[in-house]
Amino acid sequence: MVERKDVTVLEPPVLRIEHIWKSFGKVQALKDVSFEVYKGDVLALLGDNGAGKSTLIKIISGNYRADKGKIYLNNQPVSFGSPAEARHAGIETVYQQSPVCLNASVTANFFIGRELCNGLPGIKFLKKRAMRQETEKAMADIGVHIPSVKEKVGLLSGGERQALILGRFFHWGGKIALLDEPFAALGVGEARKSLKLIQHMGQQMRLPIILITHNVEYAFEIATRFVVLRHGEMVGEGKIADVKVDDVVAMITGAIHVRDTN
Amino acid sequence: MTENSGKSVAVLREGKLSIKGNRKAVLRWILDHMVWFILFFVLVVLSCSIRGFAQWGIFRNILYHAVFVGVLAIGEAICIISKEMDLSVESVAGLAAIMTAWLTGTGLDASGILLNGYLALLVVLAMGAIIGAFNAILVVNYKISSFIVTLAGYLMFRALALVVTNGHGVTRLRPEVVMVARTKLFSIPLMVVLLLFIYIAFYIFVTQTRFGQHIYLVGDSREASYNAGIRIGRVLFGVFMLSGMLAGLTGWLLAARTNGAAPNIGMGMLFEAMAAVVIGGVSLQGGVGNLAGVLAGAILLSTIATAVSLLGMPPFYMNVIRGGFIIIAVLLDALVQRIRPYLM
Repeated sequence: MVERKDVTVLEPPVLRIEHIWKSFGKVQALKDVSFEVYKGDVLALLGDNGAGKSTLIKIISGNYRADKGKIYLNNQPVSFGSPAEARHAGIETVYQQSPVCLNASVTANFFIGRELCNGLPGIKFLKKRAMRQETEKAMADIGVHIPSVKEKVGLLSGGERQALILGRFFHWGGKIALLDEPFAALGVGEARKSLKLIQHMGQQMRLPIILITHNVEYAFEIATRFVVLRHGEMVGEGKIADVKVDDVVAMITGAIHVRDTN
Repeated sequence: MTENSGKSVAVLREGKLSIKGNRKAVLRWILDHMVWFILFFVLVVLSCSIRGFAQWGIFRNILYHAVFVGVLAIGEAICIISKEMDLSVESVAGLAAIMTAWLTGTGLDASGILLNGYLALLVVLAMGAIIGAFNAILVVNYKISSFIVTLAGYLMFRALALVVTNGHGVTRLRPEVVMVARTKLFSIPLMVVLLLFIYIAFYIFVTQTRFGQHIYLVGDSREASYNAGIRIGRVLFGVFMLSGMLAGLTGWLLAARTNGAAPNIGMGMLFEAMAAVVIGGVSLQGGVGNLAGVLAGAILLSTIATAVSLLGMPPFYMNVIRGGFIIIAVLLDALVQRIRPYLM
């Protein structure tokens, strides 16, 4: 087994957040938040309600602009005016109600806006077979097993839908995915499957993922690193392997403050 | 131990599936083409219960009368699939019929231009496209609900035609127009051949082309389509223009059938087209619908009309039965949606 740390040191971080500040009126939502996400990281972004997780996510995904601070994507400074710009640059947020075309097939959703066509002048005919095969392969690669890619997405489970969105995003060159409370709407069995999928994508396929969740147990199962926010400040960060669940819970609730020790 | 028992269950399930697999596929196919089975059932019942119903002449008549609503319903169907609505189709068809008659007619209120019938077809198709583009501008650029925009169109466009002809109808069109309505190919009316041809063309268009696929995706989820970079406005322009052109074509065909156009030509067709679309299984939620079903819906409506007149029932019975069929179709569709997940 290769130590993950050794590998990541050689590559620049996929995403680097530097000294982000954000306030809404008199409320200081984020105070000097900095962290990095490397290839192969599943970074758990933890914190209680109102800790600033959502604000941070919205800044990364282009909904808000930071008051101060910089974001680097693959070492290039970026600044997004809208979620569409962020998506275009390769940052996608997947949340519980991420829009998909429920009545369209898995293939149609996978290739939405990027359909393979025969280049006839004027009218473009779909290459259905080729698209189906590519979708089947991509879904198998990310570890999603569905009866048929011809089936409607509406008949997939919530976890499978998230997997479809994630798989599609990375297939088309997405750089980093932000998962906003992916387990909240799922049943226990479904959440288990979803955990396995995210773990597979993050650790075997080495796709960078930021996981925002309340559920510390789940974060411990699949994340490689963590960042804890409390009242807009980073109160802890590190490798999941180095800490215990109780310590992280303590950071979230404010019982201990470990940032300085890092 | 647990591993083992899990496996045996899986094998058992697969064993059951392999027996049931085919049956499920057949059931699924039947559910997806429910309207055709209803149509077939109705035709069988009528053939058994009405003397003289089961003959080619009657069936030919049913198909012939399905042509106009059928063509109009294609445009309405693609509008509804894209989660918009086009209430103006009937009036655009009326306008197109009167324009065709005015341009090609020899009657008193005609223009006297005596335009070639096929050129007149081009004129009304262009007119339909322009009206469609007009609707689309208001819907896409000014973000007015298509229901409102096309409701206004419904009131306006037929009246516009009557402004041109001073409120009169026009009769006696040029022969090449009338010929289309009277020609038969091997005892099948040319109109019916045209209907099938148009349906096949549009079926291929919506199921096999990128634009067709985008109509479904845009109707299914605007947000997902937007996120994927589909230009929604462009799709809607296409949809409304196609709907307008199909309405123009319907008007031309109507004028050909009646060898002229009365001011009230095609009145009430909007609701028939809507009924065909809904009976055909197109969902008002958007993103769902099959043109084959819409064709069956149009033929079903025409069958009912034929049966009612054959039985000598007063014509108002027709709408009672049609309304009933809409309710039945929608209830059946809801049932099918419930059952379908179990047939995977």
